[in-house]
Amino acid sequence: MAGYVDFDSLQVGDALPPVTKAPITKVQLVRYAGASGDFNPLHTDDRVAQASGMKGVIAQGILIMGFMGQAISGWVPLRDLKRFKVRFKGVTYPGDVITVKAVIKEKRDSKEGLLVQCDIFAEDQNGETKVSGEFNVMKTVG
Amino acid sequence: MADLSKQGQGLPPFTVEVERVKIRELVNAIGDTNPLFLEKEAALSERYYDIPCPPTFITLAFQEFTGAYFKAFEALGVSLQNVLHGEETYEYLGEIYPGDLLTCHMVFKSIVEKQTKSGSMFLITLRTRVTNQRSEEVLKATSLIIERMA
Repeated sequence: MAGYVDFDSLQVGDALPPVTKAPITKVQLVRYAGASGDFNPLHTDDRVAQASGMKGVIAQGILIMGFMGQAISGWVPLRDLKRFKVRFKGVTYPGDVITVKAVIKEKRDSKEGLLVQCDIFAEDQNGETKVSGEFNVMKTVG
Repeated sequence: MADLSKQGQGLPPFTVEVERVKIRELVNAIGDTNPLFLEKEAALSERYYDIPCPPTFITLAFQEFTGAYFKAFEALGVSLQNVLHGEETYEYLGEIYPGDLLTCHMVFKSIVEKQTKSGSMFLITLRTRVTNQRSEEVLKATSLIIERMA
């Protein structure tokens, strides 16, 4: 498929093309609850969320990880993705607009192929990092 | 409060079938329009056998369909109200397709108590080895769960 990142022409410190998602909606949180099986009412019931000190329902952390996974599988062939780690740093609300960004942290030839490690971030519309992490790609030869 | 003596124990292996419609539901909920996850022809054209599982699909195996997280928290004596998800790591060792029957071996890898200004917390690492119906190891998942004690 066209559009994958060409790591051969990129260097450490280079950014991958950012991916900006549509604003998160409450319906999306309900859909994600059904899809993933994470039915914690913190994500679907404003009253429960407010009782926990939130201003309303918050997005499932793994949904934001899913946004990051979407970005990664647009950047690299899925079979090259070897590891994906995230740290959940802040809560995300309906209406927030998440942009997924990544920067190449390391490029190294190994006996299996070119190993690339990237830092990855999910930021909201105010530039606040909600989820950060890293992923490893192995570009096999041939 | 997490039971430190449970470190090294785990859940009995549990299985989950990879259902095509669940892949589609997850991808649609994320809002991912990548044809790789929606059209078998697109997947075949990239030399996959079928639609491959998207990177975060395995989360399904730990939620209500299997109840694995709940069972782990219960076994550990962790109260659901105090739980935060700190980190999640997936190591991809093989491809996962619709129809695959995944067996998950979850171990309570470590339980560490930490003191903070606002009280104590437990850092619980759940490590799950995922094998398919051919006993091939296809994924390793590591969840860092934080239990905050008020």
